[in-house]
Amino acid sequence: MFLSLMGVDGHVSQGPWFASVLTLKTSAPLRAEPKKKKKVDPRREQMVRERLKKKLKKLERVPPELIPIEDFTTPAKYMDETRVRGAPQLPFEESERRALLLKEWSRYKQTQHRAEMEAVGLAVEAQREALEELRLESEELYQAALRPDPLLFPFNHQGPSYTPPKAQYEAPEGKYNNITKVYTQ
Amino acid sequence: MAAPCSRMANRPLWRFITNVRRTGLKHTGVRQISLSSACRAATQTRSKTEGVPSPWKLYGAVCLQRLPVISQERNPIEDQFAELMHQMELERSLLSDHEQRLLEDSERMTRKQADNYDSDEEEADYGGQETITAQDQEDTWEQKLKHFQPALRDRDVGGTPLGSVERCLGDSLVLLVQQTVGKETIWLLPQAQWEAGETLRQTAERGLSSLPGQLCGEADFKATFLGNTPCGVYRYTFPKEVRTERCVGAKVFFFKAFLSAGSASQKEPFLWVKKTELQRYLKPPYLEKVDRFILNL
Repeated sequence: MFLSLMGVDGHVSQGPWFASVLTLKTSAPLRAEPKKKKKVDPRREQMVRERLKKKLKKLERVPPELIPIEDFTTPAKYMDETRVRGAPQLPFEESERRALLLKEWSRYKQTQHRAEMEAVGLAVEAQREALEELRLESEELYQAALRPDPLLFPFNHQGPSYTPPKAQYEAPEGKYNNITKVYTQ
Repeated sequence: MAAPCSRMANRPLWRFITNVRRTGLKHTGVRQISLSSACRAATQTRSKTEGVPSPWKLYGAVCLQRLPVISQERNPIEDQFAELMHQMELERSLLSDHEQRLLEDSERMTRKQADNYDSDEEEADYGGQETITAQDQEDTWEQKLKHFQPALRDRDVGGTPLGSVERCLGDSLVLLVQQTVGKETIWLLPQAQWEAGETLRQTAERGLSSLPGQLCGEADFKATFLGNTPCGVYRYTFPKEVRTERCVGAKVFFFKAFLSAGSASQKEPFLWVKKTELQRYLKPPYLEKVDRFILNL
């Protein structure tokens, strides 16, 4: 039976239904390939997208560049030697006068500081006494005095200037170009 | 374990008793400043709980200060030092852009006036533009400055009256009013008597707003009070004729305030005085207490 199936040349010559089975076998993968494309390609595209996203995340994990502090770097134009003023040679008397003036100034400032500290100490002492007396009077008023005032802050006051303010004076409007560099991270 | 026991043993007996009495009364557990005041406070609060009112009348007063408007004159040493600092800064500095421009301009002028001046060479460099020299700019700036006339610093030369807010712009001034206390009319910081149901700060505000000028609508003081705490107290006993069981004397509590806006016209009842002039108007014991919290800084 097998010999009859095998045939003379060894060529497998099956009956006609065998041939159709073979053709089925050859055509089945041909027919199934478009179906495989629909499954695999979205998966492949997804994989590609995921890989890109992972790469982006790795790049983003790098810490942001620090904003340079412009005050800490000396601009190049100030390193120019032509800008240096001639250092004056001070005579001996002048340097002596300067040293003595500095010492006198430190003494003056010391007395001023001591006076200020004393004045503040007296004021604090006066307040403490006032609170003590108030406590003796009535507890209720004392507690009311200790409560902080929410309306006090923010407190604004125009400090002293060199000349007193002029009545009905309109200051001229100033024009300016703002050239500050703005850095974004 | 041993240490606390030894401490208990060392404490004298009378202190132990007062401690017990104190803790018995005060459940709040407030710290005492000194033992004597603690005992006094304990007795006072005990009398409070028994329903006896205090024998002191309470007043709230306001210390209204007008802060300086212009800077003070410099001392001779301050003058010298400022000059020295300016000189030293100048010596240690580099040339600015403006100064460099001045130098360049002056160099160019000398080159122009020299004999071997080649104007074509110069103009090739600068493109033949008419440049405004730095010196010209400085002159225009000076001219502009001369157009502006600032207000004079010392306006007191004319002798502004003591009641005006505009006097002594370099110092901080305190408001004084004349009020009748008892039988006399004396100068003092504006005060009002405390009424039940208000805090002392409200009393002080009332004292300020109920001044005779304020009521007429002439003087209008807008004051910012610095907090609810009094800055000082003045306690005095009434003379023997007025003294009764109920009121032995009075306590005046002072509150600090800064003048934020004031009207120009004031009548006689007001006085704006510097700290050094206070002694001319206030009585010595009053001045002693008030002087402490008025800072001349």
